[in-house]
Amino acid sequence: MTQAIILLTIAVISAPLLSMIIVKVKAWFCGRRGPAWLQNYSTLTKLVQKTPVYSNSTTFIFRLSPVITMAGILTALCLLPIAGRPPLLSFAGDVILLFYLLGLGRFFIISAAMDTASPFEGMGAAREALFGTLAEATVFVVLIFFERLQGGASLASYLGIHTNAGLWGNAGAAAIMIIIALFMVLLTENARVPVDDPTTHLELTMIHEVMVLDHSGPELALIEAGSWLKLFFYSAFIADILCPLRGRPLDFPLFALTVISIYILIGFIESISARYKLNMVPKFILISFALALFALIFSMGASL
Amino acid sequence: MISFADLLLAFVFLSVLVSLASNRLMELVKIMAFQGVIVSIIPLALAHGSGIKAEGWEFLTATLLIKGLIMPMALYIAVKKVANRREVEPYVSYNASIFIGLLITMAASLISHRLSPSMPAADTLLLPAGLTTVGAGFFLMMTRHKAITQVIGYLMLENGIYLLGTAMARKTHFQHILEFGVLLDLLAGVMIMGIILYHINRTFDDVDTGILRSLKD
Repeated sequence: MTQAIILLTIAVISAPLLSMIIVKVKAWFCGRRGPAWLQNYSTLTKLVQKTPVYSNSTTFIFRLSPVITMAGILTALCLLPIAGRPPLLSFAGDVILLFYLLGLGRFFIISAAMDTASPFEGMGAAREALFGTLAEATVFVVLIFFERLQGGASLASYLGIHTNAGLWGNAGAAAIMIIIALFMVLLTENARVPVDDPTTHLELTMIHEVMVLDHSGPELALIEAGSWLKLFFYSAFIADILCPLRGRPLDFPLFALTVISIYILIGFIESISARYKLNMVPKFILISFALALFALIFSMGASL
Repeated sequence: MISFADLLLAFVFLSVLVSLASNRLMELVKIMAFQGVIVSIIPLALAHGSGIKAEGWEFLTATLLIKGLIMPMALYIAVKKVANRREVEPYVSYNASIFIGLLITMAASLISHRLSPSMPAADTLLLPAGLTTVGAGFFLMMTRHKAITQVIGYLMLENGIYLLGTAMARKTHFQHILEFGVLLDLLAGVMIMGIILYHINRTFDDVDTGILRSLKD
């Protein structure tokens, strides 16, 4: 219990630092030094001290949504086994709750964007809704895959926390496809480069960033921190599948190293590729769906 | 535990899927080079480092060179010089292609469960991978406009045949006389394709095979 709380605290505190890795990798590719390592914390401190400004057209939904999004992602992190240790909360069916919590967060961000009555934000909201829905299909195929192989309906049993058996032993090559599919979902859900460019400054092409244009002060801080935590959530999920060492002395450093490499990989991809045309994005997400379904078919074939 | 061959085969599936979805000719050529390299080192992964004779290494090196280097280079040059519009232009949309790719995989894995008893201790993924690659190669040939994409589909078909051949000849991984014959034919085919494409392009300013079909005189 205490262990889970300590790990969760470390995760929440280090998430802004970790997402700095992506910025640093991109800066390194351009031959720049990039911002300071602790820049994200400074940004958060600055934002928290500011007074939020509300547009006249917004209602309470606009103020509510950052809080709900943040609460959703924090609860989701409580359900995630970090570094292969049992999570804070775990019960049968928590995977469904987990992805619904993330979905709830997205729903409220979209609602807040619609609430501002800005045409650009409505556009971003529509895109986020479409891509998010498509990505959810992949996520649920992945869950079915886990269900078939590992049994149980909690994330801890899916990742083999208690049985000490990771996915690799059971699934073999299908696990590769699942990991690639999950990585594509990570890029989609966190609005990273092939899907969305987080550094773009043109409302017409933005997806996630355009929805939070009207937020300011502490609420923007909540949304930013929430998106860093969400990125950490997906990276940690993939890292849990990638390094299934449970209860060995070196598992925590190894896990940390895997998470850091995932962030470096994201930075690498962002540096060498451009974002897709918007009508190509559903294709990208469909590939991840097809990959997950491939893996599912093979897992069924192997057990026949 | 996961074997190296299964890992490679997972990447073959990935390349098939991406090739069905890719909308640029250059991307398609790069995927084919990647797939060629993967497919040609699969026998090495299956042999577990033992029982590879000298001629085995020769076959392996030759396959790797032809599949991974020469044919992609020829295609690369063809795309660079000939195709002025570098989009794939499918008859069937990309999303539908991915869906059909899924169906092909499903069918392949169903069929290979029926077939595997007649095969010597089949690897779980080798047969479905071969069948899927053959099916997807056919599909690419059927549903894309350009002559280059049809050659690429043919290449993929050949990769699939190579995989199937590997699955059939478990004990003698390196007696790929048959595949080698196909490979040489294909190499000649790619060369001829380059020449023909060049001429089609000079005559019609485009390499769309649809134009050839409407030529009734």
